Amino acid sequence: MADHNAEELAPTPGDRATRFFKRADVQQTTLFFILWTALFVVLGLFFYPKWMPTIMSVEMKSAEAIMIWFTVISAPVAAIVLAVATTAFMNRHRGDTPPPDGPAIRTNGPVVAVWTITSLLFALVAIVWGLTEMNAQAVAAGKDAKSAIVVEVTGSQWVWTFNYPAQGIETHELNLPVGVPVTFNVKSADVNHSFWPVQLGVKIDANAQVTTVIHSLPNKIGPIDVKCAELCGLYHAYMETTGEIQSASDFDAWVTAQGGHKA
Amino acid sequence: MSTLDKAHTSSRPVPNPKRSLITRLHMGTGVVVGVIFAALAYYALKASLLTHTDGVADPLSPHDNNIVLLGTMFAWSIGFMAGIGAFIGPWRWMIGKDLTDEEILYLAGDGQGVKRYFKYCTDHKVVGIQYLVGVMTLLGVGGTMAMMIRTNLARPGGHFITATVYNSLVGLHGITMIIAMIIVATGPFGNYIMPIMIGAYDMAFPRLNALSWWVLFTAIPVLCSAWFLGGIPTGWTAYAPLSIQAGPGMNAFLATIIIFAVSTAVAGANITTTVIAMRTKGMKWNRVPIFVIGSTISVALAIPAFPTFMVSMIMTALDRTYNTGFFDANMGGSGWLYSNLFWIMGHPEVYVILIPGVAALMEIVPVFVRKPLFSYTAAVMGFAGIAGLSILVWAHHMYMAGWAPSLNGPFMVTTEMISIPTGLLFLVLIGTMWRGKPWMKLPMLSVFAFLWDFMIGGITGIYLSDVPADSYLHGSMFVTAHFHFTLMGAALTGAIGGLAYWYPKMTGRMLHERAGYISFWMVQIGFNVIFFGMFMAGAEGQPRRVVDYAALFRNSNLISTIGAYSVGIGMIILLWAVIHSWTKGKIAPMNPWGAKTLEWTVPYPVPLTNFDELPVITSDPYGYGKGK
Repeated sequence: MADHNAEELAPTPGDRATRFFKRADVQQTTLFFILWTALFVVLGLFFYPKWMPTIMSVEMKSAEAIMIWFTVISAPVAAIVLAVATTAFMNRHRGDTPPPDGPAIRTNGPVVAVWTITSLLFALVAIVWGLTEMNAQAVAAGKDAKSAIVVEVTGSQWVWTFNYPAQGIETHELNLPVGVPVTFNVKSADVNHSFWPVQLGVKIDANAQVTTVIHSLPNKIGPIDVKCAELCGLYHAYMETTGEIQSASDFDAWVTAQGGHKA
Repeated sequence: MSTLDKAHTSSRPVPNPKRSLITRLHMGTGVVVGVIFAALAYYALKASLLTHTDGVADPLSPHDNNIVLLGTMFAWSIGFMAGIGAFIGPWRWMIGKDLTDEEILYLAGDGQGVKRYFKYCTDHKVVGIQYLVGVMTLLGVGGTMAMMIRTNLARPGGHFITATVYNSLVGLHGITMIIAMIIVATGPFGNYIMPIMIGAYDMAFPRLNALSWWVLFTAIPVLCSAWFLGGIPTGWTAYAPLSIQAGPGMNAFLATIIIFAVSTAVAGANITTTVIAMRTKGMKWNRVPIFVIGSTISVALAIPAFPTFMVSMIMTALDRTYNTGFFDANMGGSGWLYSNLFWIMGHPEVYVILIPGVAALMEIVPVFVRKPLFSYTAAVMGFAGIAGLSILVWAHHMYMAGWAPSLNGPFMVTTEMISIPTGLLFLVLIGTMWRGKPWMKLPMLSVFAFLWDFMIGGITGIYLSDVPADSYLHGSMFVTAHFHFTLMGAALTGAIGGLAYWYPKMTGRMLHERAGYISFWMVQIGFNVIFFGMFMAGAEGQPRRVVDYAALFRNSNLISTIGAYSVGIGMIILLWAVIHSWTKGKIAPMNPWGAKTLEWTVPYPVPLTNFDELPVITSDPYGYGKGK
């Protein structure tokens, strides 16, 4: 904040800061800055966890963490913009004639530099966070590949079909054992669909003639929803089904009930 | 150009008394010839494709039907352009002649009053007004569709409209709004205001200017015909192979885009050339008003982007007519090829929409805060940086497509880099406001709304660009809310600010202030309510483009629908204000805002050649402020 007014500053650094922060508009901006930061932090910490469905996989946890923490990290940056705007709004001029001219500040090198570097750092945090997380997921998928349960998912207008080759069953509901990594091999029988087991926080398109792959590690027992996230024609909205993340014994019982066998 | 030059230096000649063909053509003759061409094409194509069994005509196959419909639509467009006289000039050139000076002056609409708005008029001010009316019509149609969508989604299990109609509404709302938003600022203000801003007599290619508008005009009935041909089931992205499977209404979509791409290509070439070649004496690049810079960068970005849109539509059309299988995996093609072509257009396109809106606001802030634009260089770098990066980010729409997963990382990097030039745009706006006392007139209100809306749009964009978060959010209502915050909250707010700002110059009257304020608050509050609800629905897990939803999403959808009605009413009030003030508003002084750009130095009505004598520029237009 302090850099906004470099051209006004007195000689010694201590004086400068004191004089700068004594100005009414600076104090006003600081106050709004604190309020806006607080608002965004609360929005991020409170609303997303409240809105998002039960977190039932490692991947879902990571998606939610990004939404929450990126909001919190960006709160001060958003707050600077909104605080300056709010201060200007509070000092607004009404009437049918223009206000008197303000100070002729053409630019301010340090401010532009600090701003650019801040946004660069902010972008880097987002990039590094994202790449690290992607890498972690890719490594985990590779490591878990051998122990993973495989589900062949087929999207067709407008139904999901799940084939468990190792168990020898084919169903329209997606049940999975908890704590066991799962590999979904997804394809389409017709147009594009997008396979979205909601509470697992992963998603991949279903395409004709190619198989796309996505991994997940379910870590909580409970019901899940499966939806289609790509407009696929008339009944796209109804192309959904349910399933359950189950304990190992429940899953085995379900497989048996479906006429399959233990892998 | 030289003729117009002569027109005001010598005594003005009377429009051609000989009544050549050019003076007899107008929109009406265009429609007549267009319909005749369409009918001829329809019957000729049908006759040539029909087969007979035992003397009875077989029904056309879907492929042949597509050929007939596409041919009819293009014939309409070409026929209309012939009927309105678009080809007279090129024809004369071909036979080695040119239009006479009188004819050129006639085409410029000299002394024709209201009639010139219905003619092939080359005056950039007429084209600007035509675009303004066109944009408002498209926004009205698209907005009505949005209201129908929201009405249907007010309650779960709502069957206000059927799934077929709903899916069509989603796609047609999308494409109507995209077309409207692409032209929303560069159409009316880029044509009417921009040439005056740079001190030019007219655009570089006045006839191309008329061409770009009337070609766009021919696309509107084509788009509307989709309704009568069974609608489109694909959304505005028209992903293959759904688009290949789709019924006859899809042809209307394809033809609209192909025609629209011609219009934008022509307009883009015209605007860039005008700004590069026709700035008045002394208008160095660092003295060009920022709106001109923004519009130019925007259309320059459109020039490479839209041809790929056109190509992807032509290839879809070929798949649908001659079974070429470009995008059909079952025939060796690839749906991913389509998605790539589409988004190579689609991501630059959102910045084509955004940049002029922001640039209009940057033009407004210095005037209403009475301070120089903060860091002109940062503003230009911001626009240029966004434009440059935007051609490298398209596959972030395809993170979850399964196409080249190893490229998700690089595309995430380029996408998140865009936050840096975008940050500069915020800095320029708040830097200009810093220590100022903003004059709270309608245009300035939009700046405040923009900062809030674009901030929300920007931050939510950052999570969407991060692959692990996008794997949850992609294809959900969250995405819909995000891009409405950027396209509507930011770009449309900017354009409405521009409308309030330039309205006095374009109509000679002030926009009704009270109606403007009421509309502003209803639209902005309603808008934030709608998309707060939609962020909620998306975070809860509701997919996009669904006609119905589970009970879980009841509250979030109801919130959105309530907000939508507020926006709808607010927009109707704005429309009333625009129409009412056009004829009954307070007469505007020449420079109501005390601005320093050139458009405020010319009277209303703006003379045919804008300036009696071209002005000479000695500084940039932001010399406000005391001290220094």
